Amino acid sequence: MIKRSFFALSKPRLTYDLLDTSLPSAEELAIPGTLTLLLPEKIDRAKKALIGPGDAVKKGQKLKLYDDSAPYVLSPAAGTIKEFDSYADDFGSTATYITIKPDPSAKDDDQWAQTNLEQTLEFAADYLGHIPGALPVSTLTNPNYDIRTIVVTGADTDILCDTCQFVCTAYAGLMVAGAKILKAMTRADRMCITVPEKLSAQVNLDGFNVLKTSDTYPSNLPAMIMKDHFGKALSPGTLPEEEGVCFIRPEALVSLARTYETGHAVFDKIITLIDKGGQRHRVKATIGTPISKILSCFNVQINEQDRVIIGGPMRGFATYTVHHPVVPDMDTLMVQDSDVIPEISDNACVNCGECVRVCPANVPVNLLVRYLEANLYEEAADRFDLESCIECGLCGYVCRAGIPLYQYIRLGKHELLTLRENA
Amino acid sequence: MTNTKLIVSHAPFWHNGDSLFQQNLNFFIALLPAALFGIFHFGAPALGVLALATSSAMLWEVIMSVLSKKKMAIADMDSAIIGLLFGMMVPATMPWWVVITGTFIAVVLGKFVFGGTGANPFHPTLVGIAILTMSWPAFLDFDTAYVSYQFDFTALAPLAALKAQGTYALASFSNYDLLMGNEVGGIGSTFGLGIIIGGIYLILKGYARWEIVASFIAGVLITATLFFVLHPDTYAPPLFHLLSGYTLIGAFFLAVENSSSPVNRIPMLIYGFLGGLMIILVRNIGIYPDGTVLAILLINLVNPLIDTIRPKALGKGVPNA
Repeated sequence: MIKRSFFALSKPRLTYDLLDTSLPSAEELAIPGTLTLLLPEKIDRAKKALIGPGDAVKKGQKLKLYDDSAPYVLSPAAGTIKEFDSYADDFGSTATYITIKPDPSAKDDDQWAQTNLEQTLEFAADYLGHIPGALPVSTLTNPNYDIRTIVVTGADTDILCDTCQFVCTAYAGLMVAGAKILKAMTRADRMCITVPEKLSAQVNLDGFNVLKTSDTYPSNLPAMIMKDHFGKALSPGTLPEEEGVCFIRPEALVSLARTYETGHAVFDKIITLIDKGGQRHRVKATIGTPISKILSCFNVQINEQDRVIIGGPMRGFATYTVHHPVVPDMDTLMVQDSDVIPEISDNACVNCGECVRVCPANVPVNLLVRYLEANLYEEAADRFDLESCIECGLCGYVCRAGIPLYQYIRLGKHELLTLRENA
Repeated sequence: MTNTKLIVSHAPFWHNGDSLFQQNLNFFIALLPAALFGIFHFGAPALGVLALATSSAMLWEVIMSVLSKKKMAIADMDSAIIGLLFGMMVPATMPWWVVITGTFIAVVLGKFVFGGTGANPFHPTLVGIAILTMSWPAFLDFDTAYVSYQFDFTALAPLAALKAQGTYALASFSNYDLLMGNEVGGIGSTFGLGIIIGGIYLILKGYARWEIVASFIAGVLITATLFFVLHPDTYAPPLFHLLSGYTLIGAFFLAVENSSSPVNRIPMLIYGFLGGLMIILVRNIGIYPDGTVLAILLINLVNPLIDTIRPKALGKGVPNA
């Protein structure tokens, strides 16, 4: 953990880590005894489910809960469905865990063999929404967006993380091939890739417009890329998609290329595990593998009151269970020992102004948090730039009073959206 | 590890390790040179006043926390700093009951009635000092406070002497003496050099904002220079103003109090400059010998207003098709 320096006249500077080249290539993890798939739809007892416990599934089979539901997952292995469970995220949106018991003896009766793999966006939306790297098909197919620029996040958005850099350097050829396929599918005429300016690895990025990013956090976040490289400071509350820019993980392109190359869906996700000592481990795990399998593979012991973080230290989220599965957009796993977990408090803001001076978006966090604490979300948005926040988490990192500022802001935005939807 | 209970919280999962305790501890360290000099200079009564002021301030905090059913935050040392600063601004001979009343006003009326740490619109210590100045000016009169002392320097409070006798009183105060603390005044506010060293330490540690300190001193010097250049016979030179009275402790420790000072750069500069300007106006034109307390209370008052001058947030006001 980076601490405040003895002399702290200037604002703190967090830097992105460069690719850890000391690691061997990713270790492959065998398919475990149970796979858990996370389907972003909640169980509705009133409706008749298409699938149920005991049903046999094939490898690559598309699983949906109900006839009219849009979200789906692909089964990474043949086997039988064991059970359903419900899952709730940070903001209480519920999803469904589908537990599958893989059957290693089952013949690889791959229904994809009969499918003609068309290079169209419709096909991608139907079958490729669940490939490792999480291709953002809903953004690409949304008729409200006119996506003309695709930015591949070759530079990881959070500090400590280097999975994206690893994928870019290790699978450059596949990534370039995937980019061609994606370009053919969409109306995008510009393919960009963000690359840390200090990255020494030489990669042939044919057909990409290379955007060199600085190593100072948060310069790799979409909002900062929009501002620094495209000269478009996002107006409050707008997404890059609304400006015609879609951000994609490099792994999505790699998976895309492999899918079309082999004619089969792919399921192995590359994950970087950062253990308690800060040591990195690279692993290739099947989607649906419980996190606990990855941890035990590298002998990472989890004790009471440790913290398991999915994502990086600034923007990730903490999971409440080590049974949480590997999902397509999980790049980094990070484990924190209970001793090093910083305390948060319910102190009132003391107005020291550290957050205001560190904020890359010039949000008056000291005033904003007073309104958020009082649940005055609309005033917060109108007068104190709630929606200008680019969600980097630096305010919470420097808060002297230990207030969970970033949490207040995320909650504020969430509540604001709910208010507007109900209005 | 099947059912291990994990800690779940929101990002960020790192913190730079800063805390209110660290902040106040650094204030304490920074105040030490001037406070120790005061004890050395004014003897055991000074130690008594400093100890009583600090401990009674902490006691008021405990009592108020219990009464208002708020979380006990005594370990943050916020009240300890308020009390210590109070002790450093009063004479060593102040009776015990005035000290306790003063810290009561500072901690309870200056801080707690507004909602505790972070909610005070004024510097709590200054609220205490200001009310004492109004109620019992005799106990804050440095000339009468030290009559029983034997000093090897002019035992006259410099600013009071200036007010009473005019500029020819200045002959008995050299800038060097003022800097080295050879003057009568508050326990911890006479040793200019110690305050400057402590203040610079605090700035380097990032707990005091240099913008406020620098503009405050600039405000004092520029305004005093203007007066001095126009009427050298009537007004004291700028360095005298800077080194006498509460000016330095005000610039380095009082004006920078978090809750009552701005956070944006331009407002900080305006805030500090205004403070320096007001001190000289009160001293040269007003009736009080030292205007620091009133000047800082005044800029505390305008702080919310000037702190609205701030940079535009990302994406605001930018033409964006």
